[in-house]
Amino acid sequence: MDPITWTGSLGPFLNPLFAALTAALAISVLAQILLSFFTGPGAEAQGDGTLAATRSPAEMAAAASRFLVLGLVAIAVLYGVQGFFSADPARQGIFGAMAVRFWPVWVALIATFALSIRFKGRLGLYGKLFDSPVGMAGFAIVMFWVFTAIFADTIATFNPLSQVSGMRNAVPGSFVRGQEGTIYLLGGDDLARDVFSRMVAGARRVLAIAPAATAFAFMVGITLGLPAGYFGGRFDTILSFFANLVLAFPVILLFYLLVTPEIRVTGIPIILAAVLFIFPVIFLCVLWNSRYFTDPKKRNLYVGITLAIGLWAYSGLAFNLDPLGVWSMEPNLLNVFVSVVFVNAPTVFRIVRGLTMDLKARDYVSAAQTRGEGPWYIMLWEILPNARGPLIVDFCLRIGYTTILLGTLGFFGLGVSPESPDWGSTINSGRGLLPILIMHPALVPALSLMSLVLGLNLLADGLREESLRD
Amino acid sequence: MTAPAWDPSQPLLEIENLSISFFTRLREIPAVMDFSCTVMAGEAMGLVGESGCGKSTVALAVMRDLGKTGRIVGGRIRFKGRDLVTMGDAELRGIRGAEIAMIYQEPMASLNPGMKVGAQLAEVPMIHQGMARDAAMTLARQIVADVKLPDPDRILRSYPHQLSGGQQQRIVIAMALMAKPALLILDEPTTALDVTVEAGIVDLVRELGEKYGTSMLFISHNLGLVLEVCDRLCVMYSGEAVETGPVSEVFAKMRHPYTQALFRSIPLPGADKTSRPLVAIPGNFPLPHERPPGCNFGPRCGYFETGRCDAAEVPMALVPGGDRHGTRCVKWAEIDWAAPPAAAKQGEKTPVGDVVLRMEDLRKYYRVSGGAFGGGAEKVVKANETLSFEAREGETLAIVGESGCGKSTFAKVLMGLETATSGKIVLYNQDIQDIPIEKRGVDTVSSVQMVFQNPFDTLNPSMTVGRQIIRALEIFGEGRSDEERRNRMLELLDLVKLPRQFAERMPRQLSGGQKQRVGIARAFAGGAKVVVADEPVSALDVSVQAAVTDLLMDIQRKNKTTLLFISHDLSIVRYLSDRVMVMYLGHVVELGTTDQVFAPPYHPYTEALLSAVPVADITVEKKRIRLEGDIPSALNPPPGCPFQTRCRWKPQVAGGLCETEMPPVRDLAPGHHIKCHLPAEALNSMEPVIQIAAE
Repeated sequence: MDPITWTGSLGPFLNPLFAALTAALAISVLAQILLSFFTGPGAEAQGDGTLAATRSPAEMAAAASRFLVLGLVAIAVLYGVQGFFSADPARQGIFGAMAVRFWPVWVALIATFALSIRFKGRLGLYGKLFDSPVGMAGFAIVMFWVFTAIFADTIATFNPLSQVSGMRNAVPGSFVRGQEGTIYLLGGDDLARDVFSRMVAGARRVLAIAPAATAFAFMVGITLGLPAGYFGGRFDTILSFFANLVLAFPVILLFYLLVTPEIRVTGIPIILAAVLFIFPVIFLCVLWNSRYFTDPKKRNLYVGITLAIGLWAYSGLAFNLDPLGVWSMEPNLLNVFVSVVFVNAPTVFRIVRGLTMDLKARDYVSAAQTRGEGPWYIMLWEILPNARGPLIVDFCLRIGYTTILLGTLGFFGLGVSPESPDWGSTINSGRGLLPILIMHPALVPALSLMSLVLGLNLLADGLREESLRD
Repeated sequence: MTAPAWDPSQPLLEIENLSISFFTRLREIPAVMDFSCTVMAGEAMGLVGESGCGKSTVALAVMRDLGKTGRIVGGRIRFKGRDLVTMGDAELRGIRGAEIAMIYQEPMASLNPGMKVGAQLAEVPMIHQGMARDAAMTLARQIVADVKLPDPDRILRSYPHQLSGGQQQRIVIAMALMAKPALLILDEPTTALDVTVEAGIVDLVRELGEKYGTSMLFISHNLGLVLEVCDRLCVMYSGEAVETGPVSEVFAKMRHPYTQALFRSIPLPGADKTSRPLVAIPGNFPLPHERPPGCNFGPRCGYFETGRCDAAEVPMALVPGGDRHGTRCVKWAEIDWAAPPAAAKQGEKTPVGDVVLRMEDLRKYYRVSGGAFGGGAEKVVKANETLSFEAREGETLAIVGESGCGKSTFAKVLMGLETATSGKIVLYNQDIQDIPIEKRGVDTVSSVQMVFQNPFDTLNPSMTVGRQIIRALEIFGEGRSDEERRNRMLELLDLVKLPRQFAERMPRQLSGGQKQRVGIARAFAGGAKVVVADEPVSALDVSVQAAVTDLLMDIQRKNKTTLLFISHDLSIVRYLSDRVMVMYLGHVVELGTTDQVFAPPYHPYTEALLSAVPVADITVEKKRIRLEGDIPSALNPPPGCPFQTRCRWKPQVAGGLCETEMPPVRDLAPGHHIKCHLPAEALNSMEPVIQIAAE
C-alpha cells in the first residue's frame, strides 16, 4: 500500500493555495522592508486639532503580511481539523491523523487557556501574561509539550523501543506491515522504530530533567549569590572566583570527564550530588527560621517538616539510600543531572549577586537593618522577593538552555542509555542517514527541540515585557 | 526650509487649548487639558504644580517628544508663528536644540559619559550651523566661561564624571546655550542639587536670560524658585492651568483657591508649629482617569458649592485690572481673598523633659584603601568630627547640612549600623557607641527608630502594608499572639490617619504621602522614644508635606518623642524645630535654639545657607550671599576651618588663622555654640539675612 499523504483529502485544494499565500507573504515582507526606507510618519495632526491617519505604502505592506500570516495559520489549522472528520487515514492525512492523536493535549490546552483568561485579573504576573500575544504564544507552545509529556502514553502509537520488521527507514505515513490499518505517522528510523512515538516519549524524558535541573541550579545560585552580594568582601571574592572558574572550563570536556567510568569510580559525581542537593534543604530551613524565629512553635513545625522531607529525599537522590525506595535516581541520570546543575549554578549565582548588590541599597533594607533584623531575613524576605522578576525570566530562558544542553549530551551519547528516546540521542542516531537523504529520523526531534526552546524564549520575552509594565 | 519672518513683538511661544493624552491598553489617560499660555520674547514663564499635574508633559509637547504612547489630541503650539503640532520630523530636528533647548533634572543623564565635555559642546553648532571644529571649540570655551566655570580649558578636556553635580548642570546649560536658542525649557533643573549650589545655578540662569535675551519656560514644584527666576507663572493642577499671571500679582493677589491653599501649606517665615500651624490641603490628588466633573480641585476646595463647581467644565476667566491674570474658578469674584485662614487647630507646645540622648565628642572615621590590590596610601575619611550635643524628651532637634556633611553617617552610628571611632553616645544613661545593632537589646533597638527619605523606597514592594507593620511588631516583641499584633497594627494605622483597609494593600497602590505614613507607623511600632527622621518630607509634594509634618508633630506631642529631624530645607526646620544644629563637612559649625540660629550673629555658613533657600513670599527681603565653588571632598578636607575655602568673612580674621587652625567652639549665648574664628565685632556687625518688609 502507498503511504498516506501529508495533507489528506483537502490537499489537492489547499496545497496550491498554501503555496500561493507563502509566495505572496515573501513578496509583501520584502516590500515592507524596502518601502520603510522611503516613507515618513503615518499620522498627521490637522489644523483643527484632530488627527488624520494616512497609510503609507510600507504600512499597507505590513497589513498585507499580517493577513497573509493569518491565512497560512488558518490553512494549517484546517489540515489538522480535517483529521477529526474522517476515520480513514488516507483522507485524514499525516497532519490530520497526528492532530487526532494529540487530542488530550488540545483539551488540556483549551481548558488551561479558558480558565486563565477568565481569571487573569487575580493571577498576578501569570495573569498578565495573557495580555501579551508573544507571551501567550510561548506559553501555548511550552504547555503543548508539557501536556504531551504528561499524556505520552495515550498519544504514542507504538512502544518507542519496539521494532517492526520491514519498517527500517520507512517514509512518513507508511502502513505498518503485518498490522492492518496502523501507520508509522512520521516514518521509521534505522532500527525500524516509530519516529512519532519516540518523539512523544522523548518529550517526557526532556521535560522530566530540564526544569528540575534548572530549579536545583537556582537553589544553589540563590543560596550562594544572596550572601555574596549582601556581605561582599572576601566571601564574595572567593565565591565569584570559583564561579568564574567553573564558567571558564569547557562545558563539553567537563561532561566527558564527569561521565567517564574511571571518574565515576572515584565517586566524584556522588560527592557533587551530595553538595549540590543539600542546598534546597539549607535554603528552606534558613527561609523558615529567619521569618519565624520570633514564634518558635511555628518555626519548629516548618523547619521540622522541611528537614524530614528534605533529608529523606536527599538520602535517596544523592546516595540512593532511601529506605522506602520512593526517591531514587539511576546513576546515568544522576550524572547528567549533576553536571547540568553544576554548570548552570554559577551563572545564576552571578545574576542573583548582581541583583542583591542593587537591592541592598534600598531604604526598606535599611529599615529592616535598623529594626534589628538578621541578615538572612533581609536577604530572603526583603531582597529576594523583589528580585523575582528578572529571576523568573531567566528561569524560563535557562530551562531552554538546559534542554539544548541535554540534547547535546544525548547527541554525544553521554550518560544516557543508547536506546533512550530523548531528542538529543535520536538526532544523533538519525544523523547517519542524512548522507543518503533520509531526513525524517533526525529532523523530527530537531524540530521538536527547536519549538520547545523557542516557546520558552517567547514565554520569557512575554514575562519580561509584562513584568516591566504596571 | 526658510522660516517665515517673525515679528519679535508677537509671542515667541503660544500654546492654545492644548490637550495631551497618553494611550495605554486599558484606556486613554488625559494628561493635559485645555492648556493655554503665551511666552513673549525675553520673558521667563514658570510652570508650577505638584507631581502628576502635567507640567513636564507640556514641556515635552513643546519639544514634540511625547514618546510612543503620548499624543497631542487638540490645540496648537505656535513657536515664532509656526505650528509645532503639524510640523514634520525634518523641520522639528532643525528647531530642537537650535531654537528650543531643554535642560533636564539629572545633569549626569543629559551628558554622554564617554565624550569629553568640549567635544559634546562643540557638536551643537557643528550640527546645527555647520560650524568648523576650531570655531566651535572657541565658542565652547567662551560659553563655558559664561556659565562661570573656573579654568574653562581644563573643563573642556575633562569627562563628565570628573565634574561635580553643580558643574555638570552648568555644562548642560552651556550646551543648551551653544546654539543661542530663542527658548530655553528648564525641567526642575536644580532638584538634584544642594541648596547652595542651586542658588548659584538659579542666579546663573537669570543672568544668562538677561544677557542673551532668551525666553524661558521654567518648570518647578518650588514656588520660591519661581519667584526668584520668573516674570510670569502658570499654576497647574491635575492637567489644567488653574491660575496664570505675573509672579508678583499671583503671589500677592491670588485668585484661585488652589493657589491659596498651596501658599497656606508651605512654611513661610512667620509660620510656627504651635501658634500658626500650616493648613494642609485635605484629600488626595485625583488620578487622571478619576477626575471629578466640573472643577478638578472641587473635592478638596474649601469654597466648593454643589451645583455650581461640579456642573460644567470651568473656563479660564480674566481678572479685571490684572496684567493677563486669569483664574479657572467660577466663584473667584465672590470669595473674600483677604480673609485669614480658618483658625486651624493650635497645638500645645510640647514640654521639654530630661536628657534622653547625649553625644560626647563623637568621631567616625572611615578607612579607604588606596588601590585595588591594597597598594597606595590608605586614606581616612573623617565623616564625623567631635560631635557633641544632647537631646531632651519631647524636643525636636533639627540637623541641617548639605550632602556630604556627615548627617547620614551620624544617623548610622546612632542606629548601630556602624560603630563610633571614638567618643560616646549615651541613651538613657547607657553607652551604646560601641554596640552594633545585632548586639543591642530589643528595647534599645525599638526605642531608636528611623523614618526614611524616599517614600517610594521605604516600603518593601512585595509585602502588604499590614504585614510590614506586623513584622516590626514581631521583631520588637510586641503583643503575645498574632491576633493581638494584628489589632495593634490596626491601631498604628489609626495613629497615622490611614484607613484600616490599607492593611491589605500593596505599597504600589499607595501614594507617596500614604507610604510615608506607613513608614512612620512602622517606626513607632515599638514605642520609639528617639526617632531620626531623615528628610521625611523632602520627596513629597508641598500639599502633602504639611500633612505629614503635622502628623509627626501630633505623634510627638502624644508620645513625648524626641525627634532628630535631618533636613536641608531651612523653611521647614524653622517651622518645626526647637533647636537647630548646622553641620558642614563632619563638623557642627553652629548649634542653638531656632531663634538663635535664624537671627544674627550667624556662623558664615549658616548665613549663606539661609540666603540660598528660596522663599515664596514677595514681602520677604533676602540678602544675597552666594558661595563660590563646591563643597570640598571629605577625602581631602581643607586645612584649618572646613568652611574657609568658601567663606566670605575670611579676610576679617587676622593672620590667616582660618587656613591653619581649626576654630574652637565658642559660646555666644547660653546654649548657642559656634565654631568660628571671627572676632566678636565682626559677628555683631552681621545683618539679618531675611527681613519681612513692613506691610
